[in-house]
Amino acid sequence: MASADSRRMGNGGGVGGAFQPYLDSLRQELQQGDPTLLSVVVALLAVLLTLVFWKFIRSRRSSQRAVLFVGLCDSGKTLLFVRLLTGLYRDTQTSITDSSAVYRVNNSRGASLTLIDLPGHESLRLQFLERFKASARAVVFVVDSAAFQREVKDVAEFLYQVLVDSMGLKNTPSFLIACNKQDITMAKSAKLIQQQLEKELNTLRVTRSAAPSTLDSSSAAPAQLGKKGKEFEFSQLPLKVEFLECSAKGGRGDAGSADVQDLEKWLAKIA
Amino acid sequence: MLDFFTIFSKGGLVLWCFQGVSDSCTGPVNALIRSVLLQERGGNNSFTHEALTLKYKLDNQFELVFVVGFQKILTLTYVDKLIDDVHRLFRDKYRTEIQQQSALSLLNGTFDFQNDFLRLLREAEESSKVRAPTTMKKFEDSEKAKKPVRSMIETRGEKPKEKAKNKKNKGSKKEGFDVPLATSKAVPAEKSVGADNGVELSKEELIRRKREEFIQKHGKGIDKSSKSTKSDAPKEKGKKAPRVWALGGCANKEDLDYSSPTTNGAPEASLPEDINLIRGTGPGGQLQDLDCSSSDDEGATQNPTKPSAAKGTLGGMFGMLKGLVGSKSLSREDMESVLDKMRDHLIAKNVAADIAVQLCESVANKLEGKVMGTFSTVTSTVKQALQESLVQILQPQRRVDMLRDIMDAQRHQRPYVVTFCGVNGVGKSTNLAKISFWLLENGFSVLIAACDTFRAGAVEQLRTHTRRLSTLHPPENHGGRTMVQLFEKGYGKDAAGIAMEAIAFARNQGFDVVLVDTAGRMQDNAPLMTALAKLITVNTPDLVLFVGEALVGNEAVDQLVKFNRALADHSMAQTPRLIDGIVLTKFDTIDDKVGAAISMTYITSKPIVFVGTGQTYCDLRSLNAKAVVAALMKA
Repeated sequence: MASADSRRMGNGGGVGGAFQPYLDSLRQELQQGDPTLLSVVVALLAVLLTLVFWKFIRSRRSSQRAVLFVGLCDSGKTLLFVRLLTGLYRDTQTSITDSSAVYRVNNSRGASLTLIDLPGHESLRLQFLERFKASARAVVFVVDSAAFQREVKDVAEFLYQVLVDSMGLKNTPSFLIACNKQDITMAKSAKLIQQQLEKELNTLRVTRSAAPSTLDSSSAAPAQLGKKGKEFEFSQLPLKVEFLECSAKGGRGDAGSADVQDLEKWLAKIA
Repeated sequence: MLDFFTIFSKGGLVLWCFQGVSDSCTGPVNALIRSVLLQERGGNNSFTHEALTLKYKLDNQFELVFVVGFQKILTLTYVDKLIDDVHRLFRDKYRTEIQQQSALSLLNGTFDFQNDFLRLLREAEESSKVRAPTTMKKFEDSEKAKKPVRSMIETRGEKPKEKAKNKKNKGSKKEGFDVPLATSKAVPAEKSVGADNGVELSKEELIRRKREEFIQKHGKGIDKSSKSTKSDAPKEKGKKAPRVWALGGCANKEDLDYSSPTTNGAPEASLPEDINLIRGTGPGGQLQDLDCSSSDDEGATQNPTKPSAAKGTLGGMFGMLKGLVGSKSLSREDMESVLDKMRDHLIAKNVAADIAVQLCESVANKLEGKVMGTFSTVTSTVKQALQESLVQILQPQRRVDMLRDIMDAQRHQRPYVVTFCGVNGVGKSTNLAKISFWLLENGFSVLIAACDTFRAGAVEQLRTHTRRLSTLHPPENHGGRTMVQLFEKGYGKDAAGIAMEAIAFARNQGFDVVLVDTAGRMQDNAPLMTALAKLITVNTPDLVLFVGEALVGNEAVDQLVKFNRALADHSMAQTPRLIDGIVLTKFDTIDDKVGAAISMTYITSKPIVFVGTGQTYCDLRSLNAKAVVAALMKA
């Protein structure tokens, strides 16, 4: 009983502010040479140290070094991922899970990033985005420029979701919209894609806020994209959204003709 | 013979590919992934895509997928064996490359597998060729036919005698005595050998073999009996559990009691007071949240940890120790009992029985061979996988932004047509009224087409709704434009014709949306189903919504399958119009038994567009997959 009491005292002394008297009593008891008390104090210290250490490691782990590749199915995320890592062409299939690898940026500092390729299928993408978004330093949203006209609504809807999600994060990631498949002749330019997306997101803002609320109460009113009462533009967002054109496949298939230099530069910039 | 054989990682990288013909294998394999692996339909491991049959195998330990494709008309018996052989060899050969977590080692690894594969393929083909003429023998090797055939071969001279003995054996088998059966078999065999010296096998050899057989059989019997007792125990447990849950099910009676605020029989004169009642309390455009679901939700987020903790004292500790000893890969036997429990749990939550079975099968496929984490138990791993699968199922496969599409139609100066269909009494008209209220709040004008020309009072019901809605949104508030109107032609007319007239009327009058209410019909009523199919083919609505009640259990499968089939059968088009989305009604009456949502989306893989949660006009919600899954997994 006595030892438990003093343990509480000792504990309180360690944490609280006015701990001088407790410390004195502790010293007294220590001088009495009570082995139980000593062992209890040591154990407590050990536990505290582990907790601090654990927290430290956890925070280290989530220090944001990840670059997420998101986008619809068949927009070329996995190939882009492969190109950046090896520079080679590989056949790909629809991804079922994520794949990640460390990427060494080619700038003076030689920093490294973790590239994470997320699956683009409708039933998976939100789950995986949820899982990885906290560790995101940057988000690369890959768009199929050749099929853009056909998919514009789906692209806009997913982009809306990703933007809202990443704006809700503590430190907002850099955002890049990579207009892939520029090697195809019918591909739309980045400029046009930007305009179309702005227009589409503008309408999407309206329809989304009018949609019936979900069954879940935890999600409060969704964050408003851009300024109210104004036509939506990407420049209104708190995070910087950049556009660039690239081609992961390249003109002649597997030869080293891929056009991803801009993307590499961008990655070097944000690293 | 084979069209292709491909090995790729679950991350989407093709590691190695064999192409028998020049066609690309990407298309069919993507179709396989999207329509089987990602839809949780992975019960059996084959899939037909156009003219090809694909067979696949998942390696969950190294996250690989093996797919083989061949022409549908061929029946290649060796394919299963080939996949297994290739799987084993590939795994052993490239263990170092595929073991790492990072995709980099996969990318840098060279998978020069061509020669090995060709060797395996040749072996498999040859073995199938050798076996081809002796297929009968293969059948005889099967356990059932083993005994009489062997005795026939061994005792050429004493056939009739043996036959009699066999009969006797069969008789004893029926009685179910394992031991006497085996001995009686062994003794005549010995005897017969003694009588017949011409057989090549020596006596001792034969005796030894028989003994082995006897031991095997005997052992098997013991195994079987022990297994049956084992499998009995979890079953009993599973049976007990739903009873407990069923008792806890009726928590919020107050929520279900709508008797007090009804406006039934209220005179039309007192409309202004009514309006607040029927309008509900929420602001129109942005609808309020459901209280009972929020409490459900809180409980649900905490609860998933609870059952494992409660069970954890013994099973959990044991599992954890097992995990600490070494990372163990999951086998099907490990999961058996947990999956049984999960299946019963899903069924208790009102998921249709066959769907629960298929789901568990698919989860088992997905987990088999997977290496568990150090601190995870089988139960938690299976639960986690199941939860992910459920969220995956509920995630809409197509965009469901109705307002966006209406805007598009508006720009093209044509009305957006929505047809509601479903069985009797599920709430088609009620939810149609709710949806029109929601559309009105968002500034779209609505024409309601009363195509239920059968049930007494159907038109009057819609007329009442229209009157109330137009009181809430009088033309004065919208610049003199009539916002909501009823289009009706009385009873007994052809529904398809009325719908067509209504659409034409809407186009002339500049209505934005036409909501077509159809008569409720049972899925087995052929003439009515034909009529519905006709209505849909003739009018080609933009959206066909199936209205289903959340109370439905196993019936959901039947309803949706038959509605879809009726629409497919009676349509002339190349790609028939099927159900585009689902309205789930009476969601407030089911507490946490939300299984119908899973059943319906699993069958159709179409999204649940709206959820009806009450009697007032603003009791309309959209589905939140996570909340539903949380309610579903709640013990």
